[in-house]
Amino acid sequence: MNVDIQSLGTFNQLAHEGAKQATQSLAQMTGIDATVDITKITLLDRDDVGEDLEGRDFVGVQFDYEGVLEGDTVLVFDAESTDTIADSMMPGASEDPGMAQSAVKEIGNIMMSGFIDGWADYLDSTIDHSPPQYIEKSGAEVLPSAPEADDHRQVFVFKSEIEWVGESVNFYIYMLPEYEPLADAMVESVDTEGDAIPIDKLQTFNEMTTNGTQQAADNVEMMTGIPTDAEVTQISFAPIEDVPKQIGTDTYVGTVVEFTGVPSGYLMVLFDEVSAVNVAEAMMPVEMDGDELTEQHEAAIEELGNIMTSGFVDGWANVLQTSVDHTPPKLVHDMGRSIVDPLAAQVGQHQEHAFIIDSKMQTDEIEFSAEIHALPNEQELRAALDDLDVERADKTEADVEQIFE
Amino acid sequence: MKVYDGSQTEDAQETKPERLKVGIAEYEITTDAAVLTTSGLGSCIGIALYDETTGAAGLVHIMLPTADDVEGGNRAKFADTGVTELVEALEAVGASPSTMQAKIAGGSDMLDFSENGSSIGSRNLAQVRETLAEFDIPIAGEDVGGDHGRSLQLEADSGDLVVKSANTESVVL
Repeated sequence: MNVDIQSLGTFNQLAHEGAKQATQSLAQMTGIDATVDITKITLLDRDDVGEDLEGRDFVGVQFDYEGVLEGDTVLVFDAESTDTIADSMMPGASEDPGMAQSAVKEIGNIMMSGFIDGWADYLDSTIDHSPPQYIEKSGAEVLPSAPEADDHRQVFVFKSEIEWVGESVNFYIYMLPEYEPLADAMVESVDTEGDAIPIDKLQTFNEMTTNGTQQAADNVEMMTGIPTDAEVTQISFAPIEDVPKQIGTDTYVGTVVEFTGVPSGYLMVLFDEVSAVNVAEAMMPVEMDGDELTEQHEAAIEELGNIMTSGFVDGWANVLQTSVDHTPPKLVHDMGRSIVDPLAAQVGQHQEHAFIIDSKMQTDEIEFSAEIHALPNEQELRAALDDLDVERADKTEADVEQIFE
Repeated sequence: MKVYDGSQTEDAQETKPERLKVGIAEYEITTDAAVLTTSGLGSCIGIALYDETTGAAGLVHIMLPTADDVEGGNRAKFADTGVTELVEALEAVGASPSTMQAKIAGGSDMLDFSENGSSIGSRNLAQVRETLAEFDIPIAGEDVGGDHGRSLQLEADSGDLVVKSANTESVVL
């Protein structure tokens, strides 16, 4: 199956229309004013689906659907929002678990009917869905199991986030379509052969990025003595104006480089403030007073960012068999979203949509997690993937080891 | 459309100033003293327009200088068409450019890797000034440039624009 940029754009638009329709239904039926915050398409390993939901409890509804697309979808929100939602539907409902549950079911039904209708309208076809089933689960368990397919480990996940304006309530919609009908629908909407990316190459690229992340994690371990694991690697596709929203409004410390070659683009290594202090102290010979982030901490982060970037970029260059250079790192300490904003703007001068490559690493030893985000030039990424020999996948692993030994 | 029973309440919201969130490449206007917010401005610019005569106010979050740069339908994404779009939306609710004033924030030069030519932040800024000048709308306050991000809150009852940054005190324009 080939995925072309246009069909990814179309499908992203589809997810957006669905989410918009869901919020409109919500407003009509309940008066709740909500806005669509994020819609994106992500390709990731089936084992990693829902990793971002870790450690949280959710309630919501699950449906299966069939027609032009088939699969499962859920609409969930944090369990602690249940009372707010239940009372908005039926005042006092939160007092009675049974009523609260039916309020959740009802709101789920309203929104998901809108969501599915939005897709069906856009595809000019019909999608039927089953009655809503109430669910109450933790972390990734809340998601339906990823569709099985023998020949590919990676799955497409359509994710939308809807924010209830004025309340700290977010609705998450996850749609996991079956591979074949999705592939068919995507092929239908391919009308430019020229810019299609074979899906197996995207998958291979994802695997290679995992290698790069592992190398970056090994570099962290080397410098800090803290065992660090590469966690999730995924590639997402979103409109350029949604790119900064992928990163939260929390403050981050880290480094940014521009990389040049094929592909060119930007790469961020970001730590939350607590992680930044912890990891920097692990690198310093002397104990620091207080928890504040000092210039010494920042210097340590800059150094760490530099070697993580090198590890990551080497992993890519090796796989793509191109040379990828990068500028010296620029230290950043700011709201996550505003760090990404100028980079998205740079890339957005030439393209409407963007691929975002996200990796995470963490350690159990201290409170520490780091994120790597790359924003490649889309046309160049396509060119690089075009030249990528998927047959080399096995060989590449060996190469990676050889180089990093 | 499915049919639902009537058990849901029509209006469960309390009467507090409405908050409207303005995303990147989006705008919002209000005529009833809502609070308009936008977050994560790096090289992007937030342009707040306020018309004291009618109490109408609006906020647009632009990303790139001119619509000529990229083909595409979203006018709010660009400084030139975004400002125009916002002025027109305010005119549509009775405000006039002759009594509007502007407050702008953002356009930082953070993470500018370009070795020659000016940064997107400063080009955004130049275009915002130019387009506002074309409408003869004065800039009553600004917090622009520098190398840090900003988040904004436009209080439409007073026209105050609160600018927040991660590492510095808030500024009220």
